[in-house]
Amino acid sequence: MINELLYNLAVMLDNTPWSTLLHESYYMYNWVESTHVLFLMVSLGTLFVIDFRMLGVAFADVPASRLAARLTWPMIIGFTVMFITGILLFYAVPVRSTQSVWFRIKMLLLVAAAINAWLFHKKMQESVDSWDRAIRVPDRIRLGALLSLVFWSIIVLCGRFIAYDWFDCDQNPGAFVSAIAGCVDGQTRF
Amino acid sequence: MSTAIFSNYSKTLITAAILLAALMFGYSDLLSTVYVGLEPVFMWSETTWFGYIGKNYGGIFAVIQAVHLLSMAVLGGAVIAGDGRVLGIVLRDVPVRTVVDRAHRIFVWALIVVVATGIFMACGVASKIYFLPVYWFKMLSLGAGTLFHFFIRRPLLRHDINQLNPIVVKMVAIASILVWFMVAATGRWIGFSG
Repeated sequence: MINELLYNLAVMLDNTPWSTLLHESYYMYNWVESTHVLFLMVSLGTLFVIDFRMLGVAFADVPASRLAARLTWPMIIGFTVMFITGILLFYAVPVRSTQSVWFRIKMLLLVAAAINAWLFHKKMQESVDSWDRAIRVPDRIRLGALLSLVFWSIIVLCGRFIAYDWFDCDQNPGAFVSAIAGCVDGQTRF
Repeated sequence: MSTAIFSNYSKTLITAAILLAALMFGYSDLLSTVYVGLEPVFMWSETTWFGYIGKNYGGIFAVIQAVHLLSMAVLGGAVIAGDGRVLGIVLRDVPVRTVVDRAHRIFVWALIVVVATGIFMACGVASKIYFLPVYWFKMLSLGAGTLFHFFIRRPLLRHDINQLNPIVVKMVAIASILVWFMVAATGRWIGFSG
């Protein structure tokens, strides 16, 4: 039911002229994708620097809260551009993306990463005064930083895997993958 | 006098000499000779273990691509933090020397992983990238960026930044950001070409 709904929504997007134009424009599509990757360097790069600090492997002599606060803006700008370009990339290829197992895992992990970031920020604000200058920060903060690194690494990995057609619905990926990917019978339109 | 110039600016002079040599190389017949001579090396690299794995195991190739991308992100973070501080955009309340030095450590590790994973990926698609101009632009950007970082930016920022010409310092930071984002952009474009 939900898969048919998603599929129909994707087909509706796919039928809009802008989706076709974006998908078929060599330069536009590639520039959007390049911008997505370039701003990944800004957003994830700054996020990883903060995570490394929390894990005590970099910027250990800089107060944790200061580093996190000062790098928040470039990180937010990076994430904003990355999300906008990500939505455009989805809009260019909506049907295949909707039925991609990697895309679905990526979306779930994005939600998990967002929840982790919110919890991390909350926990940090609650107790930062007691460990701000410490090289080794409390374990729950370290765990949050580690989860952030793991989630985003798998998100990037899934992003790369989307480009491959190993588990595409028209490749008959098997019942299990078909169920996760939401393959709808007879609707394997690109 | 001349000895003092060589001792004080040895790395800058070496970089200038390398750039001059690269320019002369680029505009001489030597370029096409070397380019043709490199073809067997590229074809051979596809027959190595790296090439074999890269060509036949798409999953491993994709994982290495992701690691390459992640290390580029880490490198980007180090560049944004370091050069952003030099430009006075981020971390303004942390000493420049502290930020630049700490960011440099991250940068070096990220660059090592970028190069290592890049070599692996290049072996898997060597016969394709050899004929792609954008691949050579990426190598040019990577070489220029590495030289620039270690032989110009790093020695310059070892000095007290307040004693340096602020315009020069800011130009160096902007150039550093541009060159590394150029490396990333040309790298991404390799995937679209061929």
